[in-house]
Amino acid sequence: MKRIVFLVMGIVITLAFLMMSYSQNANIFELLYFSQGFNDQLYNLSCYPMVAVIIVSLAWGGALVYYYGINSVKFDRWYHWLGVLAVVTCVAPVLCYMLISVLLKDNGLDYGGEAAQFVMQLFAMTAVLYVVASYSVRWWSSNCRHTPFPQ
Amino acid sequence: MAVLACLCACHRGGALEDAIKKAMVQRDTTAQRFDSICGIIKANPDQYSAYVTQDGEINYQALAELVEEVGASLRPAMHWNVMAYGGSSFSLTVYFERSGSMVPYDDAGGHGQLKKAVNDLINYFPAGDKAKINIVNDDIYPYKGTVDSFLQDRNIYASTEGVGNATYTDFQKIFNKILEAQTPGNVSVLVSDLIYSPADTKDVSIDKILNEENSLATNMFKRYKGKSIIVHKLTGDYNGKYYPYNNNAVDYNGMRPFYLLIIADTKVMDAMAQSKDYQQFMDVQGSCGTYRFNQGESSVDWNVVPDWKDNAGRWRVSRGDRCELTGAEADATTGVLKFAVAANLGALRCPEAVLCNDANYTVESLSGFKVEIAPIQPDMLTANNKSYLDGKTHIITFTGDYKGPRDNIKLSLRNDFPEWIEQSTCKDDTNVMAPTFSSTTLGLSSFLGGIQQAFGAGNNYFTMEIAIK
Repeated sequence: MKRIVFLVMGIVITLAFLMMSYSQNANIFELLYFSQGFNDQLYNLSCYPMVAVIIVSLAWGGALVYYYGINSVKFDRWYHWLGVLAVVTCVAPVLCYMLISVLLKDNGLDYGGEAAQFVMQLFAMTAVLYVVASYSVRWWSSNCRHTPFPQ
Repeated sequence: MAVLACLCACHRGGALEDAIKKAMVQRDTTAQRFDSICGIIKANPDQYSAYVTQDGEINYQALAELVEEVGASLRPAMHWNVMAYGGSSFSLTVYFERSGSMVPYDDAGGHGQLKKAVNDLINYFPAGDKAKINIVNDDIYPYKGTVDSFLQDRNIYASTEGVGNATYTDFQKIFNKILEAQTPGNVSVLVSDLIYSPADTKDVSIDKILNEENSLATNMFKRYKGKSIIVHKLTGDYNGKYYPYNNNAVDYNGMRPFYLLIIADTKVMDAMAQSKDYQQFMDVQGSCGTYRFNQGESSVDWNVVPDWKDNAGRWRVSRGDRCELTGAEADATTGVLKFAVAANLGALRCPEAVLCNDANYTVESLSGFKVEIAPIQPDMLTANNKSYLDGKTHIITFTGDYKGPRDNIKLSLRNDFPEWIEQSTCKDDTNVMAPTFSSTTLGLSSFLGGIQQAFGAGNNYFTMEIAIK
């Protein structure tokens, strides 16, 4: 029962995150960093939902890969789990930065500095979502379900 | 992953909304782009049944509402008048005065400025080929020919000779008929010298005639609500008999003013003024004085410009029906809060000198905000502020010693009677050799002043409110 509750909670939190990426007035990506012109353009170009999908995909994908792809006793220590978190947390913001840069450039916009500052918050968001995804899916892993915290 | 895929597929956009949004974000609001959007609907009529009529045609009204909704969700909010592409765009009716004193404007030896001005109006009106043309003097008479024959007619007064009674102009009857005949979306244009020449004025003093004209204008126009009138003064060659108020005809060869009065519902006028499709129609070539009479205030498209060189301090524009700058803080060094607003003041059809004169604006605020108004020049546009300045004509810079915690700025452009109307007015037109004769019209200010009084003198052109928190 506990496993299902964690899984459902994880999905709810993730869906809430995705929904908040669509919001016009209380967008989750405008809570930690905001620069009017830059954020307006990200909103108009529908970057927020794309960024949210990248983060969610990598966070949940990373967790699934760790618990069901790797799923080995050789890699069931907390620092192995942390290693995957580090990779996911680095890759997601970089991908988002590249996406944003391309979209802004295609529209003739120059917000290089703002884009770099914007993706800083994505490190924290990706890490949090990776933890959420880990707690949602780890219960059915045969070798790593005790990582990073014992059941 | 399935959840994500569903979310992506079902997100509120859909192909149609995405296409509209993309067109607006890219500032590609052209007829070709609109056709491609219609193509999406026509390719999937079942999916987009809300935007298709029972006859299988595009439902322009429903589509216009969707476009408005998508535009309102953008930052800054955008407008795209797609109704102009539909069959229900505005219609034009031209009323061409044919009194005795109008005939010399179209003299064969002159430059034909009057006919050129009317032809331009018809040519630049999007549905100009379907325009209705009427001849006006003691009454309104339909023009017998077609729009093409009117445009090509080299001597319009000769071909309309004998239509009506050209010895006097019954303004009361004409304006009442024009205003009564206006259907929704109709734009009427009266081409006239605006000389009040009623019948039986023998031995009547000029002051009495002008007062009568003033009262008549007020009485006529106050009965029709929600109307807007733009008057343009133009000048043209005049060669022939001129009939002063005492009816002693004199020969005159020189320049004379004539006027175009564009009459429409205020909403129609606002829509035309903000639409690129009607820009040439509204920008009358050769106009040397213009004024818009408004009942109520016009809606002006405006937005705060975040990427502006002169901005000082910090704030965040909150979205909603009302413009609010939240988290506002004055500049730490100077203590000044300064922000720019881009507005489409061109839609008001006011002379540039009026729009750019700070003294014509009333600013109310607790922090003593002041404004500076400047026209937007091409070199002001940067990649980052382009989307905020697109479709706007002026930058209004607000500067104030904002100390918080909140303020409410109310900016109004006063609708003062323009000086050029007084300067274009004379009370005696018997001396054609007078230096002002070529640029003045008998009793012009009495007539236009009457309209101003009818429309509520003292109104503002527009009011802009910005809350600061």
